[in-house]
Amino acid sequence: MPDALLLIAPVLVPFFGAALAMMLRGRPVLARAVGVATTGVLAVASFALLWRAATWSGLPLTVFGGWPRGFGISFSASWPGVMLVAVTALIAVAAAIYAIGDIGTRRRRAGYDALMLAMLGAVNGAFLTDDLFNLYVWFELALVAALGLLTIDRRPSQIDGAIRYASFAMLAATAILLGVGMIYGITGTLDIREAGAALAGRPPGFALAVASALLLAGLALKAGLAPFHLWLPASYHTAPTTVASVFAGLLTKMGFYALLLVFVALFGIASGSLAAAQLTPVFGLIAAVTMIVCALGALAQTDMRRLLAYHVIAQVGYMAVGLALASRDGVAASVFYMVHSIIVQANLFLGIGLIRRASGSWDLSGAGGMVRREPLFALVFAVPVLSLAGIPPFSGFWAKLIVIRESLDAGMGWLGAIGIVAGLLTIVSMAILWSDACWKDPRRPLHRIPRTGVAAMALLSAATIAIGLLPQWLWTVAQLSARALTGTP
Amino acid sequence: MTYLYALVGAGMFGCAIILILSRNMVRMLLGLSLLATGTNMLLFLAGRIRSQQPPIIEEGVRTLGESADPITQAMILTAIVIGFALTVMLAVLVLRAWRTQGTVDARDGDAAETLGPPRERDPVDA
Amino acid sequence: MIVVLLISFFGACTVPLLARVMGRGAGFLIALLPLGLLTGFVSVASIVERGWVRGQGIPWAPQLGLDFTLRLDGFSFLFCLLVTGIGALVIIYSGGYLTGKPRVERSRFFTLILLFMTAMLGTVLAENLLVLLIFWEATSVLSFLLVGFDGRSSRSRRAATMALQVTAFGGLMLLAAVCMIGHVLGTYSMAEAVRQADVIAASPFGGPIVACILIAAFTKSAQFPFHFWLPNAMQAPTPASAYLHSATMVKLGIYLLARFEPVFAATSWGRATVITVACITMLVAALQALRAENFKSALAYSTIASLGILTLLVGLDGPAATVAMVGFLMAHALYKAALFFCAGSVIHSTGQQNLRSLGGLVRVLPITAIACLGASLSMAGIPPFLGFISKEFLFEAQLESSWELVPLAIAVLVNAVMVGVAGVITLRPFFLGRDKLKPVRHKESLSIVAPPLLLALAGLIISLDPDWITRVALRPAVAAVYGRPVEVDISVWHGITPMLMLSFVAVSIGLLIIRFWRPIHTRLRSVDRLDAYSVERLWERGLRGLVAGARGLTAWVQHGDLRRYLLMVVAGTAALILWSVGMADAWPKLPEPGDVRIAPTIVALVGLGGAFAATRTKSLVAGLVATGLTGFSVAITFMMNGAPDLALTQFTVEALIVVLLTALLLAIPIATPATRTPGMRRSDAIIAALLAGLLFFGFLDMAAHGHESAAGEFFGRMSYVAAQGHNVVNVILVDFRAIDTLGETFVIAVSAILAASLLATRGRKAAPGTPAPVHFSFAIVGRGLALLLLAASIVILWRGHDQPGGGFVGGLVAALAFAVLSLAYGVDRAQRSLRARPLTLVGIGMGCALVSGLPAMLAGKPYLTHLWWDGGGVLPKLGTTIVFDLGVYLVVLGAVLAFLFGLQREASR
Repeated sequence: MPDALLLIAPVLVPFFGAALAMMLRGRPVLARAVGVATTGVLAVASFALLWRAATWSGLPLTVFGGWPRGFGISFSASWPGVMLVAVTALIAVAAAIYAIGDIGTRRRRAGYDALMLAMLGAVNGAFLTDDLFNLYVWFELALVAALGLLTIDRRPSQIDGAIRYASFAMLAATAILLGVGMIYGITGTLDIREAGAALAGRPPGFALAVASALLLAGLALKAGLAPFHLWLPASYHTAPTTVASVFAGLLTKMGFYALLLVFVALFGIASGSLAAAQLTPVFGLIAAVTMIVCALGALAQTDMRRLLAYHVIAQVGYMAVGLALASRDGVAASVFYMVHSIIVQANLFLGIGLIRRASGSWDLSGAGGMVRREPLFALVFAVPVLSLAGIPPFSGFWAKLIVIRESLDAGMGWLGAIGIVAGLLTIVSMAILWSDACWKDPRRPLHRIPRTGVAAMALLSAATIAIGLLPQWLWTVAQLSARALTGTP
Repeated sequence: MTYLYALVGAGMFGCAIILILSRNMVRMLLGLSLLATGTNMLLFLAGRIRSQQPPIIEEGVRTLGESADPITQAMILTAIVIGFALTVMLAVLVLRAWRTQGTVDARDGDAAETLGPPRERDPVDA
Repeated sequence: MIVVLLISFFGACTVPLLARVMGRGAGFLIALLPLGLLTGFVSVASIVERGWVRGQGIPWAPQLGLDFTLRLDGFSFLFCLLVTGIGALVIIYSGGYLTGKPRVERSRFFTLILLFMTAMLGTVLAENLLVLLIFWEATSVLSFLLVGFDGRSSRSRRAATMALQVTAFGGLMLLAAVCMIGHVLGTYSMAEAVRQADVIAASPFGGPIVACILIAAFTKSAQFPFHFWLPNAMQAPTPASAYLHSATMVKLGIYLLARFEPVFAATSWGRATVITVACITMLVAALQALRAENFKSALAYSTIASLGILTLLVGLDGPAATVAMVGFLMAHALYKAALFFCAGSVIHSTGQQNLRSLGGLVRVLPITAIACLGASLSMAGIPPFLGFISKEFLFEAQLESSWELVPLAIAVLVNAVMVGVAGVITLRPFFLGRDKLKPVRHKESLSIVAPPLLLALAGLIISLDPDWITRVALRPAVAAVYGRPVEVDISVWHGITPMLMLSFVAVSIGLLIIRFWRPIHTRLRSVDRLDAYSVERLWERGLRGLVAGARGLTAWVQHGDLRRYLLMVVAGTAALILWSVGMADAWPKLPEPGDVRIAPTIVALVGLGGAFAATRTKSLVAGLVATGLTGFSVAITFMMNGAPDLALTQFTVEALIVVLLTALLLAIPIATPATRTPGMRRSDAIIAALLAGLLFFGFLDMAAHGHESAAGEFFGRMSYVAAQGHNVVNVILVDFRAIDTLGETFVIAVSAILAASLLATRGRKAAPGTPAPVHFSFAIVGRGLALLLLAASIVILWRGHDQPGGGFVGGLVAALAFAVLSLAYGVDRAQRSLRARPLTLVGIGMGCALVSGLPAMLAGKPYLTHLWWDGGGVLPKLGTTIVFDLGVYLVVLGAVLAFLFGLQREASR
């Protein structure tokens, strides 16, 4: 019974919080209290779940309504879902700390707390569910909440960004919905494992080929893979810092997780199933284009938010390499990269938010001087910067190393080579970002930055360092995840 | 009937795409609403067209007899409501864009991409 | 050794804090850390002498191939001595050099230097290639931070970024090489890689591995064409230049090459490449050294030339080359660091670094002048200094090796230039041109003079009494590099040999250069083309081109036109489907054509017609009507195919969309200019038709196959028996798949927040409601109609479990009731009759839906298991499902009203 509660807590806790925060919208102080408290409970529950999953031997599972599996919708405490839920909680805590100095009365009145909690619940739902249609519902909820958070200041740029985001996302949702419907029409079930079993070994018929392509298109758009990435640099940067940071950390990764779930667990591309084997080369192509085009895109930016937005996508490209390899270790590499990237991207956005606070400018030309005025910040900010650039001993180094190594082992060294080229571009871009923001003399005297912001970043930086120093741990989890996703013991 | 419904659903879908590709945001909005309708029409085929009987258990009977597929219907029902929420949200956004920028042409509404001057006055709310 | 690294690391993090509280003397105290380490190394010298020590490896991440294995052999030992020894002197020197900086910055500088020392030690001690890589990258990053230490100046930042770009590029190449070695051998052990050099060279990855290692080494050791970052890196504070950019870090490339010599030697082109690159580097550097006009850059170019010599020696075969390499490596580290210290002292005390404007400093900096003289003599290779011995070895190695005479000639020439440079940088600032002497800012202090003097003395003492160092450092180092023991005989006088003749030639030419430095220098400087075609310019131009290209590409991809974005998505999706069916070689199977029913056909075709009309019409109102028509016809289609729930929902949704969009259309102009050219419309239509066609066949193919749904069958069986409901669709929504519905309810709730926040009139209160003029007949029936709809909605909610209906439809119908009210009497009145804020309703609804699943958990059942109470015949059966459905009802009602009131209010402004 406590276990069953633990499994659904990552979704239910934020939902209760959201309902409460919604009713308390008019009283920002109370709403903030609800938001912070809920996040705390969520964090405790998520890490408890991770702990239980790590010590459990079997595969715990809950089917809502107590129906037999396959008939009701089930949540399972399987890898990598529980890991991602825990990382989500980490991001949520960091965002909650950061929000103290970033989200004020007006934004809370506009429903920040309820929206953020609803989004966290949706993200967790997507990480835990075993049901295709349920996955679609969580995507929609995350989208709606994201749109609300995106437009929270009602600035023209936010409205435009939201319109762009919404129109893309609705196309994606349609593609996903059609794909899910077709999978149901073909297999007669919406449960991912059951549908996967029904599809295994079956050569793709016309309908299945269409369905897999639709799912790829829709989920690739959500994950921000080229050429479906265009919405992301057009919208993310308009959000408030805390929000952009959570978006950058979680939303694209949620899309990528769904790609993993659908193509590995459902279509079995990494376990030799033919159901969608014809799409494997496409992943290689998409990954290569995404890495190069978006690393170059980042190089072309001087606005810090857009610079990072491009890096968000380029990182998803690295993850997609793991899928293109169509091997179990490739999947593990993707999972490792995903966890690293969630933490680092969120942290970077928090960092530029503080730079903006200090210098009053989002543009690199106006930033500077942080190393002298805020040495602690400069140090903490260096961690995600170096990690993204793939410098050891931070998490990004291992993530890149593993991706390159697995692509060599899978005989697709060219993907690894492209990863290295994109990595060089990333280093160049990160060096410019850090040196401009921290060394250069600022144009105007710097303002003070909130201590809470640095604290939130320090939390995430500590996680990055921990992964960097103990890569073994995450790699074990990643391999367990790959086993769980491919269904091989 | 399967042919007909597939044709109608796909046709609506195509028309919706044409509308969405317009630069007039209201037209896009209509297109997205139509897209949801066409999608639901197509999804209906996932349960096949086999019985005109609604999936309601008759009084006095314990199990469902021959009827249309209930899961598809539940799925579509959810999709209709979500589609509705999204369409209306987009409508609100379009209205907001019109109020703040006085345009419903997507080409003019690119404040997010041009970003204006680097020091766009955005509020730091704290 | 791990302990050594840990001490070094934690020491680096803590000890420099002393500098925050102490003044000038801090340097001496902090230097105790590297000195202590040096002592530690010296104490194990006897072990190194005998063979090599292998430190215990700690398994760090064994599955990743990462073991924290360190080893200390002769070559590493030599490096360790240099790193800690010179490190200590650098710290002492910085204590005096940085007097002008604030304490915080001084402390930061010490931290960086000590961290760098740790990284260097780690690199040379690493046995596992991944560990090596980690420390290697750390040196690059620390070099970046030290070069840009004075981050205010844009030149520093540029130099730092450039250094990082080049060395990080090399680091990535090393990463690639390490990955490939791991792939080929299955292990990341360096010893293993060296032992199986033939296997590596023979594998298909042999060429790439060697190329990557060479590039990594060349970038780190500033070999052509990557040499340009080093002179720029002189922006670093001088102690850092002395440490990183002459004595230690730049030698890492040599270290790597020496370690991997068997690997590249196993390929046919490895040695040739190394030697060629070394020769080009030497020539270029020699030329530039003569052109250099300031103290530090002259030193920098001579460092590059020396590195070229070292690279050449690694490339040459034979034991003599190895002996020469090791000897020269040490000699160079000693004298070049000393010279940098002297240069630093000159810059520190005069603030000048142009060689032409300095002079006569011997009077104010006498000890520095002596140190400089000693180091220069070593650099020039004048006996009895250490440089002389190493030069002898150099010539011997070249004569002995199997290579042509070209490298020899170049080496002689370059040595001559080094003699020249050594002379110029000693004589000019210190001894010549006494008239140029200007007042100095700082006098010599102990911390500034001691380090260079010690180093210069070391160069002399070692060459006079070479036994100890030969025994503990040089001989083991040579043995470690060469693979077997080699007799190393270091003495100043070997008799008259060809080597001595060559030395003599080199020195003579060098003296000529000293004599004619000024004309040569001015002449060379006047050739601007050398600057224009330098690799540095090319690199910068390349980078600029890259950024410009990136801008162009991004502007082309991210053009900002939403239509083309969406077109890309649609076309991309169609292309993916085409690829998918094409590669799967699948053809659609068509279902049996069944019977055709007339009425449904007409209804469906009307719907299609509506959709088609919507694309053709110019008027937005007509478009809205046409879309609405389509929606209604789909609702009827659902009705006719056994889906009354869907039909009901579709009807109400469509009605509400029409109402809401009408409110929108009231606010914006109906007349719209065309936004697409006919050509665009045509291409849009083609792509839309393509996608629609693919979907058409896809769904036909799906429908052609049989459909067995175990779940559907189960629901039909259990719906009444276990879930107490006749309406299977509703039971699925509130029970079997209730979590879906919960999520969906939240979608609506959240969209209501967005509507409320975007449509709220902020700042000022809305004008008190003047009811919009409506037709009186509507006003009369409005109230009645609304009440009727409300009642209907409650009935629909209540009976939903058994008959078509449920929370969704109920909520939508109730919302329609208020829509009617607001149309009839205006928004404010409608809202007043609601008696609650829409969002409060939404919140309560969310709460209801969430709570309804909890009671079951108390009974130990999963969440959302619904409980039932039998009313005992009097009351109807009650279940928690009704609470759930009520929640849905309230959320839908509240949300739709939030939209409705907001839109209408906004539209009527």
